[in-house]
Amino acid sequence: MLSDLPSAAVVLIFLALSLVALIRRVAGFSSRVDAYIHYLWTFFLIFTVSEVVSFNAAIWILAGLCFIALREYFTLTDIRLQDRWGILGAYLSIPFMIVFIQIDWYGMFIISIPVYAFLVIPFLVTLGGKEAEGTVSSIGAIDFGLFMLVYCIGHIGYLGLFSTWMAIMLLLNVAMCDLVAYLIGTSGKLRRGGDVTKYLASTPVTVILMLIMSGWTGIPRDHSVALGLAIPALVGIGRHTISYIESDLGIATDRLVPGKGRVFDSITSFLYAAPVVFHYIRYFLK
Amino acid sequence: MKKFADIFSLRVLIHLILIRPFLKLFFGVNVAGRENLAASDRYIIIANHNSHLDSLLLFALLPARHILNTHPVAAEEYFSKWKPLFKFVDYLLRPIWIARDKKAEDPLKGMKERLNSGHNIIIFPEGTRGTPGQIGKFKTGVGRLAVEYRDVPIIPVFLSGPEKGFPKKSPFPLPIWNQVTVGPPQVFTGDCLDITASLENMIRELSESETANRHRRRKRPKPSFTVAVLGIDGSGKSTLSREVSRALSDAFRVCLVSDRLEFYEHEHQKEVQPLLTEKVREAVGRYAKTAKSLKHYKIPKMAELLLRDHIMGEVQRWYSPDILVLDGCPLINLAAWAKIYKGEYFDTDACSAALRILSGKDEATGKDDTVLAKFPELAALKRFGLASMRLPDAVIMLDVAPSVSVARIKGRGEKRQVHETEEKLAKLREGYLMVCDVVKTEFNIHTRVVDGQAEIGQLTASAIAFIEQGRGKEPDHG
Repeated sequence: MLSDLPSAAVVLIFLALSLVALIRRVAGFSSRVDAYIHYLWTFFLIFTVSEVVSFNAAIWILAGLCFIALREYFTLTDIRLQDRWGILGAYLSIPFMIVFIQIDWYGMFIISIPVYAFLVIPFLVTLGGKEAEGTVSSIGAIDFGLFMLVYCIGHIGYLGLFSTWMAIMLLLNVAMCDLVAYLIGTSGKLRRGGDVTKYLASTPVTVILMLIMSGWTGIPRDHSVALGLAIPALVGIGRHTISYIESDLGIATDRLVPGKGRVFDSITSFLYAAPVVFHYIRYFLK
Repeated sequence: MKKFADIFSLRVLIHLILIRPFLKLFFGVNVAGRENLAASDRYIIIANHNSHLDSLLLFALLPARHILNTHPVAAEEYFSKWKPLFKFVDYLLRPIWIARDKKAEDPLKGMKERLNSGHNIIIFPEGTRGTPGQIGKFKTGVGRLAVEYRDVPIIPVFLSGPEKGFPKKSPFPLPIWNQVTVGPPQVFTGDCLDITASLENMIRELSESETANRHRRRKRPKPSFTVAVLGIDGSGKSTLSREVSRALSDAFRVCLVSDRLEFYEHEHQKEVQPLLTEKVREAVGRYAKTAKSLKHYKIPKMAELLLRDHIMGEVQRWYSPDILVLDGCPLINLAAWAKIYKGEYFDTDACSAALRILSGKDEATGKDDTVLAKFPELAALKRFGLASMRLPDAVIMLDVAPSVSVARIKGRGEKRQVHETEEKLAKLREGYLMVCDVVKTEFNIHTRVVDGQAEIGQLTASAIAFIEQGRGKEPDHG
């Protein structure tokens, strides 16, 4: 399977990231950049497994990622004792969604969480106890976390089912947006601009990257340009939205501690981009 | 070679290969300040206690060489309920079992033995798992140990997460991160109580610094503390309640529910928009006072009391004062008046049942209970959904002889109401005293009966002291 150049490139990137992560870990760095490298490493682990072993194995690593992100989210939200059944339901809906991706049952994947999980979880919450006060907040909090951190990330998995290279394309573009925004942020040139502006600045980079990759991803040039234009905006909107949620959850983005927003913070760039890019490709190209 | 076998026994391997990875992968463990533990070989670990995970988490902190000679303190009767669990815990953690019911034996004996032989111990000074997320009062045992073993440092550890991950009364664990904060080792010089207090403080500080930036759900505003001043007509309760309100308003926002609604702040009366219900109640009250016989008095008086109770709710909703002073509590008055109308039936049991029904706490009362048969008014109120009146938090009863109060009423020069005769007032007084006795013993409400003929300044001072005492009491929620 490793015969072709692109697959070898994925493995090479994975090994390089492993090396960088290892060095930074040994050196004892612990910053937002480290959290980010860790997250890139996780995704390239998934891609490498997908290329070298099988898609079915890779998708379960993605399930693990969903689990870790959701666990962190539930750690940070204020839950009542009786919400535990609902939260158990949220955790258990991860394997269901993953199985629907595995067997390529699109219709069921797309309704598994927004229809069935969202109907079952409120029921489970009410089964947990008799106290009615706070039920709306609890259901809202559980459903939101499940939607963002499982359903939206699940779209990356389904995109990977179309072709691993489409998923890699999405990851690289999002990572590029984050890199450009990070460079702009640290250079201090763009003090006034909000999140969205910072991310829009990376549009030329993503368009060029999309065009370079169009041979591997199989996306025609016109659609590549459209996606290259859309992704920075989506990432910017996502980052902006999630920044409000982060501050409400009490995530201190300058001091990311495991279990207190490390995974959540690095995965947020995906949350808006993944579903929209997936549905664009499915509508126009499948 | 003995040393090697000591360290790598099966017990240690279970800890290292099964328990630690499970805690990390399933729950997630983040440790801050691990270096505080690695520095010393002898220590007493103290931690807050919320969950069965706590002991396992603390063991996950230990260096491998300390696993075998560290012992948590555990309650024997809790774990001995189920033999396999007891055996498993006993094998894995080698706890120091404490029997809570054996009073004669020194509970610290087991701990001292281990400390004397150079081992380390883990103590949860709260003694029990307590309310999730709250740090309970520390027991003094840890202080006594610290006094005796001044050379062994005490390491305070704050655990956050187990109270959500696997709380008490929960049938299953949930994956939730555990944050473990290890404080610096402490060596103390003070006495037992000082040490206990400062350790408790230390854990509280760790808890505050850990959870400070976390978002919390909004709590419902605290209901006002309600003080009822009772007494028969002419006992001086209106005067006393006004004086008490004025005096209390120095530190609190006070509302007085009397014949008029009055608000006090900083010892002055405050102007507020009158409530509509208040106007209605005034009219009904005026009408009741003109009644020619007790029979005609009953219905308007009942309506007036119900409206007064409704006003208490309105005041809390719109103005939420810190303290609500009642010139006569509607619920208690309603019950006490039964003594005048149905004195022959009204005994302590009936009184207690009536209070329960009127305050809406009568899950046990059936439809054809004798109380409802004897007092059809109760059944009527219940049927119309009016039986949800408010119980006060504290009750002050001004006790005055009926002859004195009749003399006072005459002195006012107003037209006397139908019940303001010596005979009726004596009955009413009996009723009040009985209700006071019932609310004190059965409803656990802070109650005091005072002599109404004492001087007003003295009465006010003692009432204020009594209210402060009542406010200080933690509300008991079982």
